[in-house]
Amino acid sequence: MSPSPCPDLLDAQARLASHGWIAPKAENFRHLPPPPASAWLAPPATPTTTPTTEPSDPTESWHVRALDAAQADQFITQYLNPAIPAQRAMLFRGLPWPDESDAAHFGWMHRATCQRGLRVHIAGDPARHAAAPLRLVLHIAPAAPFDAPLLVIDVAAGAHCVLLEQHAFDPSADAGVQNLDLHIRLGQGARLQHLRTVAPAPHDRLAHQLHVTLAEGAHYDQALLASGSAYHLQRTQIDLHQPGSAARMGAALLAADATLDQQIALSHTAADTYSAVESLLLASGKAHAVLNAHTLIATGADNANVRQRLCAIPTSGQPRVVLRPHMEIHHDQVQAAHGATYGALPDEALFYARQRGLDEASALALILQGLQRAVLERALDDPELLTGMSAAPSRLKQARTAARQGEGTPLNLDAALARMTQQHLARSTA
Amino acid sequence: MNTHTTGKTMTQPTPLLSVRDLRVEVGERTVLESISLDIQSGELVVLMGANGSGKSTLGLTLAGHPRYRVSAGSARFHGQDLLAQKPEERARAGLFVSLQAPPDIPGVKNALFLRSALNAVRASRGEPQLDAFDFLKDARALAGELGLDAKLLSRPVNEGFSGGERKRNEMLQLALLKPRLALLDEIDSGMDVDGVRAVVKQVQAMRAQGTAFVVVSHYLQLIESLTPDTVLRLDQGRIAETGTLALARDIARTGFARQGETAEV
Repeated sequence: MSPSPCPDLLDAQARLASHGWIAPKAENFRHLPPPPASAWLAPPATPTTTPTTEPSDPTESWHVRALDAAQADQFITQYLNPAIPAQRAMLFRGLPWPDESDAAHFGWMHRATCQRGLRVHIAGDPARHAAAPLRLVLHIAPAAPFDAPLLVIDVAAGAHCVLLEQHAFDPSADAGVQNLDLHIRLGQGARLQHLRTVAPAPHDRLAHQLHVTLAEGAHYDQALLASGSAYHLQRTQIDLHQPGSAARMGAALLAADATLDQQIALSHTAADTYSAVESLLLASGKAHAVLNAHTLIATGADNANVRQRLCAIPTSGQPRVVLRPHMEIHHDQVQAAHGATYGALPDEALFYARQRGLDEASALALILQGLQRAVLERALDDPELLTGMSAAPSRLKQARTAARQGEGTPLNLDAALARMTQQHLARSTA
Repeated sequence: MNTHTTGKTMTQPTPLLSVRDLRVEVGERTVLESISLDIQSGELVVLMGANGSGKSTLGLTLAGHPRYRVSAGSARFHGQDLLAQKPEERARAGLFVSLQAPPDIPGVKNALFLRSALNAVRASRGEPQLDAFDFLKDARALAGELGLDAKLLSRPVNEGFSGGERKRNEMLQLALLKPRLALLDEIDSGMDVDGVRAVVKQVQAMRAQGTAFVVVSHYLQLIESLTPDTVLRLDQGRIAETGTLALARDIARTGFARQGETAEV
């Protein structure tokens, strides 16, 4: 017997039916329209009336673990099946209905097709986290060729967490579709340093929407390393609606003969809020990429301090790139700066590296990695986080042994950066 | 043709570097008219000349900088046609050119850059690769000898470095890469007294092991400390004068303006 569809699911379907899909002239998507609505539905029928079978082990395709076993008691995970009404209610509890922005269609579609859910609660323990922040790894692989996961992360007041979010895609599998919704809510004074790597296979279609809400004095940093695919949307909405909240976003984006759309929307409505956005795009071939940053400073957001910096460097070919830094300021007592730069490869640095013996390809890879790394470092304000969360300096000896034995450090954004840059250059050459 | 050689040419018939009638253009401008010189292993040549005389152009051309176009002449290095080689091939063959203004490389840790370069050169020599740990041990020791703060190894290449730190970093690269010929372009600029002493000490040590040097400098104190075999004066893209330390002293005393016309050599 099929369970009764949930009200929010029916509502989402109704919205999609009445509004249709994203209009070609929608402001946020007009430079890079997404695939049609049908592309985001699981064939042959949506799972809206047929419950998906709960996998025998829901942690198989995604899981969260603490790097340090001693910290395993500082968070709780709940795997929830949205096809089961009671679990669906728990999964979506407290989450806002998709807003009326251009991107709301993805939110409605996600509500209508969501197949799996995970809630993570991070406990607040300021005393312990002052000495050592909780370090978590979130591993996500597609559960099926069509995947619409929902992830909710609540960080309790005073907690300090470093989260490495790693996505695994299989380039040998059929073209996949993933519509991910991720909600992050930071309690008072909490801090989350969020490292993300998203490298889909060239034929995959992805839409990742992050919604970040910050309580008073909370601090969110995101370092995103992502590459393009047949369609790849990375959209982050950050609400700075409480005094003293702050957010930094740094993105290193690679598009070689692929599409990539980054959308960042920041909303400052409270006093003494801070945000900084910096994105670097390396594009080649026939890539089509858009960097879209919009920062709103509402009336009353006294002393808001906002920064936007978008940069694109064509590495070869004739990529089509659009940079759109936007600021909408409704208050006088603020500091704001924004800029967009179309750059060129740093020829002098390239020559310098070659004069020291590096071949052209290696020199280029090293320099491009450096440019990206600098952006990610600035977002995290802690370079050590990029060099390997498991290879802390105190464990240098073990790390050396592991390196000599050929064991890579899987939790190393630097390694991902090197790998993805090499792939980018290889695809550019091809 | 003016071919500038030293006494060592008599005992070593095949020079390490042999340049003949080199003519170099940058954009529409001819910067080097005709340069010919021979340099032997272990030799130290000082290159002097007024601003714009072509000293840096010579180094960058030999290093293979793409902006410098050779329109005539030849250069052979260690028995190979230097001008036919890519910049990295020249470096791997043992040519090191220290730039007057070494560029920043944002986000690339100095240690990683140095190790990558060193391993590329070692690979070309058939030598085993150094892992990060062995490399750091050597690099820290050499940095200490040069008065370079070891912390700079973990900072991005040259980013935020003072003028003197950049030049010490160049000397660190030189010490690690152990080239056959090093061209040091105003290595002393921005350096304090201790830095200059460290340069002299390192150059003399490497020279004793057979490394040849071309040192571009305007300062007599450094030049005297280096005890050069030959001093060359460049003027308007040509080697106008060849001499010994006495020539450097003469230039230091009277300046370049005294040279009304190109001297016969």
